[in-house]
Amino acid sequence: MPFFPSPLRDAGYDISEHRSIHPSYGNLEDFRGFLNAAHERGLRVIIEMVLNHTSDQHPWFQQSRSSRDNPYRDWYVWNETDDRYKGARIIFIDTEMSNWAWDPVSKAYYWHRFFSHQPDLNWDNPAVREEMWDVMRFWLDMGVDGFRLDAVPYLTEREGTNCENLPETHAILKDFRSRLDQQYPGRMLLAEANQWPADLRPYFGDSDEFHMAFHFPLMPRMFMGVKLEDRKPITEILQQTPEIPAACQWCLFLRNHDELTLEMVTDIERDYMYDTYAGNKTMRLNLGIRRRLAPLLDNDRRCIELMNGMLMSLPGTPIIYYGDEIGMGDNINLGDRDGVRTPMQWNGGWNAGFSNADPESLCSPLILNPIYGYPAINALSQRRTPHSLFSWMKRMIAVRRSTRVFGNGSIEFLYPANHRILAYIRRFEKETVLVVNNLSSAAQAVELDLRPFKGSILVEMFGKNVFPRVSELSYLLTLGPYQFYWFRLRRV
Amino acid sequence: MLKEVSTPERTGALRTDAKLAEEGFLTDDFVRQLISVGEIDILVGLPTHNNAKTISSVVAAIQSGILQSFSRDRAAIIDADAGSRDGTPDLVVSASIDDVRRRDSNRFALRTLHSISMQYGSSPARGIAFRTILSAAELLRPRASAVFSPDSTSIQPDWLRSLLKPVSTEGFDLVLPTYTRHKFDGLLVTNLLYPVTRALYGLRIREPYASEFAFSSRLGSQFLSENSWNDETAREGCEVRFTVAAIAGGFRIGQVYLGAKDPLDRSAADLVPALRQTIGVLFGSMESNLSVWTSKTGSQPITTIGADQQFALEPRRINRKRLLDMFRAGVAELDSVFQSILAPSTLAELRGIARLEEEDFRYSGELWVKTVYEFAVAHHKAVINRDHIIQALAPLFRGRALTFLLENRTASAAAVEEHIENLCLEFERLKPYLLELWKDRE
Repeated sequence: MPFFPSPLRDAGYDISEHRSIHPSYGNLEDFRGFLNAAHERGLRVIIEMVLNHTSDQHPWFQQSRSSRDNPYRDWYVWNETDDRYKGARIIFIDTEMSNWAWDPVSKAYYWHRFFSHQPDLNWDNPAVREEMWDVMRFWLDMGVDGFRLDAVPYLTEREGTNCENLPETHAILKDFRSRLDQQYPGRMLLAEANQWPADLRPYFGDSDEFHMAFHFPLMPRMFMGVKLEDRKPITEILQQTPEIPAACQWCLFLRNHDELTLEMVTDIERDYMYDTYAGNKTMRLNLGIRRRLAPLLDNDRRCIELMNGMLMSLPGTPIIYYGDEIGMGDNINLGDRDGVRTPMQWNGGWNAGFSNADPESLCSPLILNPIYGYPAINALSQRRTPHSLFSWMKRMIAVRRSTRVFGNGSIEFLYPANHRILAYIRRFEKETVLVVNNLSSAAQAVELDLRPFKGSILVEMFGKNVFPRVSELSYLLTLGPYQFYWFRLRRV
Repeated sequence: MLKEVSTPERTGALRTDAKLAEEGFLTDDFVRQLISVGEIDILVGLPTHNNAKTISSVVAAIQSGILQSFSRDRAAIIDADAGSRDGTPDLVVSASIDDVRRRDSNRFALRTLHSISMQYGSSPARGIAFRTILSAAELLRPRASAVFSPDSTSIQPDWLRSLLKPVSTEGFDLVLPTYTRHKFDGLLVTNLLYPVTRALYGLRIREPYASEFAFSSRLGSQFLSENSWNDETAREGCEVRFTVAAIAGGFRIGQVYLGAKDPLDRSAADLVPALRQTIGVLFGSMESNLSVWTSKTGSQPITTIGADQQFALEPRRINRKRLLDMFRAGVAELDSVFQSILAPSTLAELRGIARLEEEDFRYSGELWVKTVYEFAVAHHKAVINRDHIIQALAPLFRGRALTFLLENRTASAAAVEEHIENLCLEFERLKPYLLELWKDRE
């Protein structure tokens, strides 16, 4: 999330100063210290950057609204009426009635795709582009390793379109990528674009736009798959996912700091998701569900493990939202998406180890309930327990990193007759891995057609135990509730 | 690829009854497919045999019905096929919606819909087909199951909701249909099965021999375990037997109005098999349910969802002369048979009306009721071969049907219903006569 100075009317996505740190978090020196500490540990740091809009408190907007002759006037999208770009959908349907807002100071309408206090920058203005690149250079010079670029589909507007994914937007992004590669080799760009896979594909370009992009439509379908106990939603969306350049990668995630977005599902699927995962309507926000992973899955450890198992074995880079590695809960009594943005529960002590400040001055209250509260769920206690979720996650990550096949390999689905079983082969160079997931809460039997691998021996990747050799016959497996296997196929 | 058609070619030789008994009723391949289906909420069974002409539209209606009314439920279509040679099983299986066939289908479905087929033999036996469907239900444990006729030309997607919802959400164990029929369609039901079932078992079930119905797993499971499936009689007439089992077991029965029902194209030669499968089974049920039917007097309505049975009235050409000729021929040729079945007074009356011309012909309700009851007792006593008794009823039924046609030639729907109701009341009024005969014969 953005850490810049902001009125915090949208959790920092309403930036009012691009080259500084919000005083609640610290200052530039603090950030430099953090960056150096991360680099010393071999960690790379990418930061959030909001290109599309600013806060209406940003000096640029204050200048822009002050006079029609002001040099910053053309830094935002103004109009005398609110009837342009009617093809653009409203994203925050719970709060906004229009993408235009009347500015009483300027006596004109300004364009905003998100909240009305977040006016969109005018990316057709070269001065805006140069200034934003200069902002990015500021942070790159400081040492950040890349950017998660927020809301990139909406940079430009054209009449007669939906004002999303326009060629002019891609041209801007390619220009930034080119500058990045030339001036800061080894740094990366990650796209936040909540779009269908086919619409996302152009954001990778010919390896000349984004390095990575979030795969938004997959995430709700993974939740749908385990609740329906049916692999169909998952395989269908992955069948629709196009190939991307070898140097690019999908980012897969289960939960993040936003709502579990249901924009990229059908009406029937959305209704089903609402009814099954957000029976309490306060859990719903915009077109999504504002909940964390563990509460969504009823704190079922087996299901949480299965979901993480799929996250780490499907094609892409897994993104784990802070706190989900220990099974943190949420607070649906907080407004907007703040319920999933509560302080990290480091330990059972003062403010859960998150801050030395007085508890009442925390920007968000701690989770205190007996199930998910920080005395019960915290990183310190889980580090001490070999069978904690945190310890299990560490083992998972270690197993994933033991092979390059998950990060680089191809995927082939097996489609066994039992639709509760999601099975696929991952291959990279000489390595082959078979993944079998039971999406059901009950034990399942499955027969897999592994004849192309006849003669191979299956080695279970966690315990390294050997399973029977593949023959001409169907390979029979039984799986417990929500159980999954990763097998390395070895020819001995 | 999914392998969802289980045929003898894949599983070995055709299974004989002996093999079924030895190895368990369901083939290994079919069981394997059922394992893949897993636990479900809704099961739809189809007993098929060479239904390629109609099965596509039936299956399309079922698929639509599932997607419209049970989109969130786990559903499966189970085809019990009698060795079709016209591709019927493949047409049923093609109704599957899954991630393999997805690209060939323009239907959106939230979840996988399995449509699987098992060939149980090489000739139709509705009892075995029904047992296959019940066995599948026993393994898959649906909240509600339904059976549909594979040759229906009337089926609509909303029939699934109408039949299955009362079972899945309202606690009914058996839901039978009512229809809008032409007043001269379903004469076997209106003049024999409905009144007899009603008089015997005390419930006003309009379609005790239904080609579409829904049932609970509770009822299905009990019928599967208690019915004598190895008995030859279990092979046919399972629908009537199922209805009677539900009544005798005290299960909750309802009926639901489905809409217009097209008549099936039946020839006169179909009457005897139809009688065997219906009234023959009903007569047979009287022995095993003696304490049930002998204790009932009068009748009670059952819960009816939607409209009552309705009648279409458009004029229709019917060969009345042929019906009369067949009645007369039957009375003349089967006189010796009737002597061992019917009371002398009943037979005398029949001989009398057989001499009447069409304009004077009338097979009265009272005479018809006595005839049927005397046949029931003869069947119980097995005075002659039971199948011959059922065959002998056919010409007499034609005579009664002719009377119904004549009485209702210009009748309104209300008048038709009144005539049927009067006949039912006659069956109820004369039930003591049946009990007396039964007791005497005992």
